[in-house]
Amino acid sequence: MIPLAAVPAPSFDIERVLASIDTMAAQKPVAAQIVSVANADDTSSKKLANILATDVALAGRVMKLANSAYFGMRGRVTSLQFAVTVVGFTTVRTMATVALTDLDDESRLPEYFWDLTTTIALASSTLAPRFGERPQDALCIGLLAQLGMALLAHNDAEGHAGLRADNTAFADLRAAEVQRYGISALRLTAVALEQWGFPREMVSVLNKVEEITAPEGSLLRAAFEVAGRMTMERYEPIPVSRLTCGVLGEEDLAPVLQRVWVEAEELRAAMLG
Amino acid sequence: MTDDARDGEPAAAVPHEAEGRTVAAEPTAMIAGQPSPEIVAGIFYGAAVTDMMAILVAERTGSTTRVTWGNQGAVNLLGYGLEDLGNLPFDTLLPTLRGGELKLLLRRERGTQMNLPIRTASGATVECVIISTPMPSGRMWTLRVVAGANEQERALRATADAHERRFSTLTERSPIPMLLSEQGMRLAHVNDAFCSLIGRRAEQLLGTSWLDAVHPDDLDSVVESAADALEGGDGEAKARLVREDGTVRTTVLRFAHLFTPGVGAGFVGTIEDITDRLAFEERLAHQANHDPLTGLPNRTLLAQYVAERFAAGRSELACLFLDLDNFKVVNDSLGHAAGDLLLVEVAARLTRTVRPGDLVARFGGDEFVVVCEGVDEDAAVTLAQRIGEALSAPVRLGGVDVRPHASVGVTVQTAEHVEADELIRDCDIAMYQAKAGGKGRITVLDQQGRAEARDKLRLVADLRDAIERGEISLLYQPIFSAGDGAPVAVESLARWEHPERGLISPVTFVPLAEESGLISPLGLHVLDETCRQIAAWDLELGMAAPMRANVNVSALQLDENLPVHVRAALHRHGLEPCRLQIEITESALMADPTFAREVLQQLRDLGVEVAIDDFGTGYSSLAYLRHLPVDCLKVDRSFVAELADGHAEIASAVIALAHNLNLCTVAEGVETVEQAEELARLGATFLQGFSLGRPMSGPEITTWFAAHRETPETPTDPEPTR
Repeated sequence: MIPLAAVPAPSFDIERVLASIDTMAAQKPVAAQIVSVANADDTSSKKLANILATDVALAGRVMKLANSAYFGMRGRVTSLQFAVTVVGFTTVRTMATVALTDLDDESRLPEYFWDLTTTIALASSTLAPRFGERPQDALCIGLLAQLGMALLAHNDAEGHAGLRADNTAFADLRAAEVQRYGISALRLTAVALEQWGFPREMVSVLNKVEEITAPEGSLLRAAFEVAGRMTMERYEPIPVSRLTCGVLGEEDLAPVLQRVWVEAEELRAAMLG
Repeated sequence: MTDDARDGEPAAAVPHEAEGRTVAAEPTAMIAGQPSPEIVAGIFYGAAVTDMMAILVAERTGSTTRVTWGNQGAVNLLGYGLEDLGNLPFDTLLPTLRGGELKLLLRRERGTQMNLPIRTASGATVECVIISTPMPSGRMWTLRVVAGANEQERALRATADAHERRFSTLTERSPIPMLLSEQGMRLAHVNDAFCSLIGRRAEQLLGTSWLDAVHPDDLDSVVESAADALEGGDGEAKARLVREDGTVRTTVLRFAHLFTPGVGAGFVGTIEDITDRLAFEERLAHQANHDPLTGLPNRTLLAQYVAERFAAGRSELACLFLDLDNFKVVNDSLGHAAGDLLLVEVAARLTRTVRPGDLVARFGGDEFVVVCEGVDEDAAVTLAQRIGEALSAPVRLGGVDVRPHASVGVTVQTAEHVEADELIRDCDIAMYQAKAGGKGRITVLDQQGRAEARDKLRLVADLRDAIERGEISLLYQPIFSAGDGAPVAVESLARWEHPERGLISPVTFVPLAEESGLISPLGLHVLDETCRQIAAWDLELGMAAPMRANVNVSALQLDENLPVHVRAALHRHGLEPCRLQIEITESALMADPTFAREVLQQLRDLGVEVAIDDFGTGYSSLAYLRHLPVDCLKVDRSFVAELADGHAEIASAVIALAHNLNLCTVAEGVETVEQAEELARLGATFLQGFSLGRPMSGPEITTWFAAHRETPETPTDPEPTR
């Protein structure tokens, strides 16, 4: 654990980080194309499958995810087109985004990144109906929520590790990120997703997380809370009622924890191939 | 940016720098690939004055970014005056961008687009899309600001929301269980009816959790059908759903494809709970296939069961046919309720006694069938013995201990069995053989028994054909007046000349007709043909024709239809009723004397005479006889034969009895002159016998009667015309 004080003053340039997002598309054209077309109104599963087929690794992950327990298809998904149908276009786009941003390369990610990410995603998806949200979108936004953190960590590995060590509460970490980088990781995620044309509704959720009285951010705050409790050793729980404007009570979390626990490993395996 | 522009007054002509020289406004549109100053000025003018679009220019100086210009649209949108807008700190407009986040919008090297709330002069925020384009200097940006949702968009969204609410209300309140997957198998929504059906809360069913409620054996077909729907078709699956409390509902799940643009494929599912319907159908099926009294499979199910297991050429099945001995006695003496109790007890004992897997069926009445698989003849007989023992324990019925016994027929499948129903038929035959041999017996149908039974079956088929083709001919035996020996009547006798077997006796084929349901057509044929013949004799012989013909009627014909048929036959051939005498055996009358009396009375009312055949051989009550509406008693040939031995007691008593009751008599089987004389002496009215007049065909009778009417003979003439 590196104390923040020991890390040199950040030579961090937010513009460089943002510029790196732009260059990613050029390096992984198939993933970029999927990110670009996945949610267009005229997109079909056939069209997406045709693009996916040119990226064997990504196609394999989509197939694996479609056949995972999470989607309940019990191994019936044998064609890529059907896999796209089953997981949904937004999920395909999310997986393409994961590939595009090297989130599938764990060596370049903070420790336990995917444990936290899959837990956030599944908690978000499981709780979504309680908040009137679509589980599928909630899963995707949960999977991508940590994208900004990965970008920050790519560019300032030691510095961000220090922030994480010093701040176990998510709100504290975000405040520290704003202080150090001028932007929080979550906000950076929102910017990146907005830039890639993700639906406005999905992105706006990210922007509302830090506003604890904003009901739009309640679901993701609750998902982070579940993930913190499940994956972080020193995590100090925050009453979930406070985080969700009273929508959830502690008693609502027990079944969620159980289900997330069961499904997290398989989701992680599917996302990382 | 020029001062003119800042003041909102567009210049008439804007200097344009191209390749190091200043070019005045020129009429040409393009100069070296660039728009002319005039065009540039025109565009700028258009941008400056339009209120359709808000345009701002922002400039960064040091760490501060300020608005340096705005067009009329920006003034309208933001509510600031042009001058106030001119030097406004840019972040004042963007309350949600904190710290260094302004950099996210104002990028030096590329344009950006963000959805952000903009704060207007009044302090209100307006959701906007802001498109930022950097200028080459890297310090200034042009910003196009588009208010988030215009009226049309808001209206569309409101309409969509209303549709959504209507759909939600419809599904939520629908009594039909429904589920909605927006993507894949994962449910996004279930209605209350579905929650009630499964007995779980909605959150316990969303995602893939609803699949936990599907019975594991049905899960594949449910997923298969849902997959069909996801791929664009329709899916339907019958599946058991396991409720929270462990009870099971049988349902039909129907899936319809649902596509959301930009999202993907899902399905809408409706669930029909068919548990009660299936239970009802099962009850109906059970009722159709089971005996309501004993609960045992009935004859229909028995046939089905045997057919399903029967494979020709193998020896897999054995059938036991049981018929309770003396069941009728129980029914008649203790009542039908006691009879029913006995049947229920027998059914229970049978079920307890057979091996697991054997079928016990109630064949009908007091008949039961047991079907066993994989047993040989010895084992089948052993089982039959065991059943006999089990049945023989006393049953208390109406205060009386009854020991049920059964006659059992056993058949084991052989290579000769071609059809399944032959097995049942054979054990039925075996049972009859057992019954015939004495009650409480077990008989195995052997080769000979089977051959005889089949022969009998063939004969029945031939008899049916013979009746249909009118091949049963009639002979007529003359009946003489005992007083003067004149032939007065005839008795019709059915005759069957089999094409292969030759003449078959009525003693053989009449019981056969009675057993096989052919007695009615046979009886009608005899009745009609007799009437036709009388009419023919009338035409040929006039007054010399036989006055009357006697027609025998079986006990089975003695029903309310008999008078109807008799009247119809008489009418058909234009005969007076007195030309016919119906002969009914004593035993037929005694089976149900009250009913017999009614039928006979109806015949008498028609004007037809009635005779009791074979009188004295049965056990008729003389009291009944007094009340029976009959005209004549036929003295059985056995009593007539006794005359030769000097025993005239019975014949004498019968004739005397008839006389006392004002009935006439016909003595049958008169073979000698002595018998004829003795009978005449005893007071018999008529005589009938082979030696007096043999049975003859219709034409022969014509000749015979013509001759005898011209030269009357004594009834004792031993040489009638043949």
